[in-house]
Amino acid sequence: MQKVSDHDCVIAISHLAKGFSKANSYRTLFRMLKGAFMRNGTSDVGFPALCDINLEIERGDKVGLIGNNGAGKSSLLRIIAGLSLPSDGEIEVRGQVTLLAALGMGMVDELSVEENVFLYGAICGVDRAVIKSNLQEIIEWAELQEFATAKLKTLSTGMRARLAFSTTRHIATEITLMDEVLTAGDRNFRDKCKAVFDDYRSADRTFIFASHDIEFVKTICNKTLWLDRGRQKAFGDTESVLQQYLGSTASH
Amino acid sequence: MRLGDKKYLNLWREMTRAQFKLRDQSSFFGFLWSFLNPLITVGLLFALFSTRLSNEIQDYALYMLIGIVYYTHFSNATGASTNILYSMNALTRNGVFPKDILVAASISTHSVDLILSTLVCVLITFFYGTPITFAVLALPLVILVQIMLVLWVSLLLSSFYVFVRDLVHIYNVFLRLLFFLTPIFYGLSFVGALGRFVLLANPLSHTIIFARDILIKGQLFDFRDFSLFFAINAGMLYASYKIFKRLEPSFAESI
Repeated sequence: MQKVSDHDCVIAISHLAKGFSKANSYRTLFRMLKGAFMRNGTSDVGFPALCDINLEIERGDKVGLIGNNGAGKSSLLRIIAGLSLPSDGEIEVRGQVTLLAALGMGMVDELSVEENVFLYGAICGVDRAVIKSNLQEIIEWAELQEFATAKLKTLSTGMRARLAFSTTRHIATEITLMDEVLTAGDRNFRDKCKAVFDDYRSADRTFIFASHDIEFVKTICNKTLWLDRGRQKAFGDTESVLQQYLGSTASH
Repeated sequence: MRLGDKKYLNLWREMTRAQFKLRDQSSFFGFLWSFLNPLITVGLLFALFSTRLSNEIQDYALYMLIGIVYYTHFSNATGASTNILYSMNALTRNGVFPKDILVAASISTHSVDLILSTLVCVLITFFYGTPITFAVLALPLVILVQIMLVLWVSLLLSSFYVFVRDLVHIYNVFLRLLFFLTPIFYGLSFVGALGRFVLLANPLSHTIIFARDILIKGQLFDFRDFSLFFAINAGMLYASYKIFKRLEPSFAESI
């Protein structure tokens, strides 16, 4: 087992694995009792989403997370955020984590845009007063002035991504995980985001970006993790990992 | 529930505010609606039993109202909180924060109703002509133990409900039974030794009896009884919190 001993290491993962159950029915008291009394022989083996992941991320690292759909990018981010438990292996995370995912961002449909900003801010540890003094700016940056009092459910996926991203600009958690945030927005939004990311590059905070945008990873990230069907293909300098990744996709 | 942490205190406040908005009960009429239900129950029960029981029980209407108010708080707060990890599933699944804050906030919104309802009880006591004594000052303590009781029950149920999906049906049946196993429209003297044992094993009976002592008899509850009850609930709260925290890491992926 690898402990975080180095002062600057904020995430240490060793031999991490994650399997998902294939069972799809709800667990009820009746089914649990039935399961306890009647062994029907079919054990749930599940399918592996992640397998033998080993990495260390240091404070201030900007890590790109690349790989095809189903490679395990989101699963890994959710495990780092503490929203999912590894089936095997060790993980140690130092510092407060924010997860920003384009799909499923932890906002409430039935609340208004403004109310969601306050709640989202509070979840990320920001005081109401701070959000209040920045509320106007957050909503303007997201270009949602007309929707400030509308319920979140009336917003499109792209608009929601804008809102969440705009709010996170005021949050300074030690570790920020972003899952395909740029993909949800239009070009204009992506350009604005990239300007923000440029500011982050020199920051002391740690970021992990799951992305399909190789150009983006190349410009922002100093390290890159390449996952393929749950396996760790390569981890290290962005340049060398991208070379391997592009080499493999070109040969197909 | 790390109360010392300012960050979580802020989150608890925001979460309570949000759940108030979701219940649409932030207005005066919101409270009125939630008070209507116990009022109707009291009216019906009074119509049914008053001729028989009002000779036996002092201030029968008030007696029932107190019972109903505390029962309603218990059933509404635990019922809603049991479901809270599901009803706020966007946050349970994707929010990185201690999930006991969701439960605490849910109980907070319902406890505002309890505080207002208790005030209404005090007002009614006043207009009823029953003398109000200094014992009234101890009512906040009764509300406190009631909230502790509701909190530990909800922590247990909400975390079990994630893994046992029919729990909510079982619990609804239990709540219906509980109505009759609590001295709401009758008293301890109406049942035999076994019944008395069952009633006193029910923690909800105690908070109701404490509140009735204060408002109807105008005297303070028995201090030893109260201390013991407080200690038991504090112990249960601690144990439930530990269990909740133990199960919490798998909430997000089990919902």
